[in-house]
Amino acid sequence: MSIQLTRSKALAFSLPALIAILPFLGACFFIFRFSISGEPSRIEGFSIQPYLDLMTPYFGRSVWLTLRLAFIATLLAMVMAVPLAFLLTNLRSRFARRSLTIVILLPLILNLLVQAYGWILLLGPSGVLNSTLRSLGIIERPIFLLFNETGVLLGLVQTSLPLAVFPIVSSVRGISREHLEAASSLGASHWRTFFDVTVPLLRPGLFGAASIVFAFNASAFAIPLLLGGRRVQMMGIAIRDMISPLFNWSGAAAAGMILIFVTLIVLLFSAWLARMTSEKVEH
Amino acid sequence: MRVDLLPSEGGGTYRFVIILLAICGILISSLPVIVVTIMSFSAADNTGFPPEALSLRWYGEVIAMFTTEDANSAQSVVDSTLTSLLVAIVVMVISTGVCIPLAYALARGDTRIRGGMELLFTLPLVFPLVILGIAFLLIAESLRLDIGIWRIVIPHVALVLPFVLRNCLSAMSGISIEVEEAAVSLGASPLRAIWDVVIPMMKAGILAGLIFALIISFNEFTITFFMYTVDVSTLPIWMYSRTVSSLDPSTLALSVFIIVADVVLIVLVDKLIAGRASLF
Repeated sequence: MSIQLTRSKALAFSLPALIAILPFLGACFFIFRFSISGEPSRIEGFSIQPYLDLMTPYFGRSVWLTLRLAFIATLLAMVMAVPLAFLLTNLRSRFARRSLTIVILLPLILNLLVQAYGWILLLGPSGVLNSTLRSLGIIERPIFLLFNETGVLLGLVQTSLPLAVFPIVSSVRGISREHLEAASSLGASHWRTFFDVTVPLLRPGLFGAASIVFAFNASAFAIPLLLGGRRVQMMGIAIRDMISPLFNWSGAAAAGMILIFVTLIVLLFSAWLARMTSEKVEH
Repeated sequence: MRVDLLPSEGGGTYRFVIILLAICGILISSLPVIVVTIMSFSAADNTGFPPEALSLRWYGEVIAMFTTEDANSAQSVVDSTLTSLLVAIVVMVISTGVCIPLAYALARGDTRIRGGMELLFTLPLVFPLVILGIAFLLIAESLRLDIGIWRIVIPHVALVLPFVLRNCLSAMSGISIEVEEAAVSLGASPLRAIWDVVIPMMKAGILAGLIFALIISFNEFTITFFMYTVDVSTLPIWMYSRTVSSLDPSTLALSVFIIVADVVLIVLVDKLIAGRASLF
């Protein structure tokens, strides 16, 4: 008797999971259908009016702000993620490696409210940073870092850092030491080896990590809500405002579709950029 | 000579810059949690820094919040914590329950189907949470059904599926078909072979998946922010209502409990999947 998986048995085994993911697929379809609805509060007829209504300077500024903050946060996260990945792969002690992994991973998993409390305590008008600077006599009035773009940026970098570090760690593990040894034995300095050997070898991993981080940051909601106040209108917040005070559901759905679309374009562009630059290296 | 990405000696500015940036990263990751922990031990009524004296009074306050029943605000924190736990446990059981058979089917089945299915079950990971929250809200409002905690459970299950499936799949990948054949040749039915041989071998991966689902659901804020109602509300939502008013130290003490629970669970997952899979 064979225990080969028959088609019907495979289907029966997959069915519960397919049912579990069905509401998600339904939600994806629903948001698309709502975005082309003729009525703002229910699905009826077809219209591109929800999209046309978004062509305002206000929403345009929100898109621009989202792209800008997501881009800067991604850049900052990448600049710190590469050294962290090096450190993580270089630690000899098992305990140190585990502790560092947990320190980096925690911000992604821990309740965002706890982290927002932390930032409020750190950066608030009577927070750690301001009291320290004031007692040292460096500043007289508190500097405002919270409820503006700086606070949001810090929060975004913190929460997206793990998404950058872990993919880079796996590409760092894939680098063969021979390349580095060759570069070093030919007399290249550490910096030169880094930029001419390590970075090109890591490039696919770097682009992959940066894309994930960017997509995550562009669709951020909790961080701008908690650390940006009303002033930093990233797209996530703008979409929420369409629903909550305005009840413009089809508009929110259309704005959501635009957010997905914009993110997809950036991801495709990044994949294209990764391919172009790696082709150049081979020649 | 051994050459490393991070030279252990020498290296001049290169080593200095790499270490400096890594330290910045560690500080950005950990400072908020550290400050919350320090301030929760403050003896003062406000959250001014540095705390003038240390005490455990806010921890006493948290315990009092959970044990006394009269005050209205205390009632809601107990309710929302219980809801959070209930939702997280239901999400954990359902997501793992559906992922074990799927992982088996994918590991033993057609590789072409496997690729497609893996992609399908990764989608919730890359889909913006805000939009997911709004979409589920629109569905719930359109259907006008009163489904209690399932309002939150259903989106959470979708959210944790990618993590749970990945853990179950990596647990399956180490189990060769020969062990099942051995069981069947000794007279077990194929289903019995799966139940008695394969599933016990998947145990570590299944446990890791269970814990992952528990942590993610318990800490989830964005989708719940759209889905919660007066009757069905979770702990993160209760904590959000506290940020709107001024921060009081008892909330920080409560945060420390959450931090400790999360760290313990992550350490557990890390131990369970040590060496066999990465966390992502």
